[in-house]
Amino acid sequence: MTIDVSTVQTPTHSATPSTPVTVPKITINTTSERGVPEVKIAIKDLRFYYKNFEALKGINLDIYDRRVTAFIGPSGCGKSTLLRILNRIYDLYPGQHVTGEVLVDGHNILAPGQDLNLLRARIGMVFQKPTPFPMSIYDNIAFGIRLYEKLPAQDLDIRVEQALRRAALWDEVKDKLKQSGLSLSGGQQQRLCIARAVAVKPSVLLMDEPCSALDPLSTQRVEELIAELKSEYCIVIVTHNMQQAARSSDYTAFMYLGSLVEFDETESIFTHPRERQTEDYITGRFG
Amino acid sequence: MSLYNRRRATNFVILALSLGATGLGLLILFFILGSLLAEGIPALTLATFTQTTPPPGSTGGLANAIYGSVVMTLVATLVGTPVGILCGTYLAEYSRGSWMAPVVRFINDILLSAPSIVIGLFVYQVVVVNMGHFSAWAGVIALAILVLPVVVRTTEDMLNLVPSGLREAAFALGAPAWKVVVMVTYRAALQGMMTGVMLAIARIAGETAPLLFTALNNQFGSTNMNAPMANLPAVIFQFAMSPYADWQRLAWGGALLITFTILILNIVARTLASWSGSTK
Repeated sequence: MTIDVSTVQTPTHSATPSTPVTVPKITINTTSERGVPEVKIAIKDLRFYYKNFEALKGINLDIYDRRVTAFIGPSGCGKSTLLRILNRIYDLYPGQHVTGEVLVDGHNILAPGQDLNLLRARIGMVFQKPTPFPMSIYDNIAFGIRLYEKLPAQDLDIRVEQALRRAALWDEVKDKLKQSGLSLSGGQQQRLCIARAVAVKPSVLLMDEPCSALDPLSTQRVEELIAELKSEYCIVIVTHNMQQAARSSDYTAFMYLGSLVEFDETESIFTHPRERQTEDYITGRFG
Repeated sequence: MSLYNRRRATNFVILALSLGATGLGLLILFFILGSLLAEGIPALTLATFTQTTPPPGSTGGLANAIYGSVVMTLVATLVGTPVGILCGTYLAEYSRGSWMAPVVRFINDILLSAPSIVIGLFVYQVVVVNMGHFSAWAGVIALAILVLPVVVRTTEDMLNLVPSGLREAAFALGAPAWKVVVMVTYRAALQGMMTGVMLAIARIAGETAPLLFTALNNQFGSTNMNAPMANLPAVIFQFAMSPYADWQRLAWGGALLITFTILILNIVARTLASWSGSTK
């Protein structure tokens, strides 16, 4: 790993975006901000097949802890597929198979014998459409906690409150915890789903276009939330919204037709992408 | 005639034909309900609900037949519903990619449309002949077999209506499959599944053919499940065909009771269904 000495000496330097970064992959600016990023998820030669169709064609990618990594690319490029491999939610459906390795904290989650429930408890996921369970707001949060922890009632109350505060939802729902989660607005429902995901204390948070069904104001709240949560979680976000990727991520992976075209710091991707395809996509020439 | 006028004329003809057909259907329905009400209401007295079926020429009621119908319908529902719900759950939640699911679904569809008299004959051969006598249990078994496919079908359909995102969200929290089914998808589909059970009850409440071969009938008040048991459809069948005026009157009363019970069940089922539709 190469570290630009001048950057380390002046941490505020990171605020100026135009420093030309020639060293590939190494993330000088963010490094100086919050220490050296650790690789949380290492994806190695990952190939994914739906029946005979190869949806992912050999992905190699490192995802860093306590950073936000965005997957961007046109529809059908495989970004959601890649995300759905990281908690093996694809396993719910037949006719698919995967080769390669996905190392989470050095442990291959694709290995046979992996306990999927334990894996998913460690790797939370937020979906495109808000999916509150048909139960009370309180139970929506408590559902996940109760799965793996037997807590006395007061402790559970505390955990629910913490999770809702975390998702900046507590003030809006504290007087109606017994009401159905379905009674909330779309933006509130999505924050409820984020609260539900963080309540089980995962170490990775996967977000599949979490704002695409939300209005601008709710989107802003969710993005603020992502910014707060990244101090504790490894966050991976799939988005169609280029501004969102630019605003809220530290790293960006551009994918096209099942391949990873370019991966770099978000700043570099958006200011001087190395690949022509990336540039065409982010400037809106295709996609 | 201009193109526009021709289209208007065609539209008018089609509209008139459709309205006519609808009117005819409604006319027949109201005629049936009308004669049922006219003949049935005078037959419904307190005695109808308190006294047992009389011998010809004396007064009586339908108490034993009402009791038999309620008990056999209830027990058959209690037996058929859990099996149906579990089977529907297998088809909707567990069978992805399995060759067994299409086979089970196909057989269930056949069972769903099988004439009830065939079910009656089957239970007669398997249960009644082997036991050596007619019994309420045989009736319960026949009715439960009729409940089963209806519940399997509606359970599967209702579970399939639950968005897969909801299931994924529960799995993504690390929930085991059975908890996802019991705590999330059942809750989301509950009202629809209840509707299915209601429709199943409505279907068996008026079944005659399977009971003629199994529970038969009983002139006397009997609560013994191992003996023949009176039931409304069989009593209506017997009394309506008889030459005695007071028996015929009781048959009308019974017919009215069954019809309105089924009507109410259907209204409840529809209300449940639309209610569940509006909360999603």
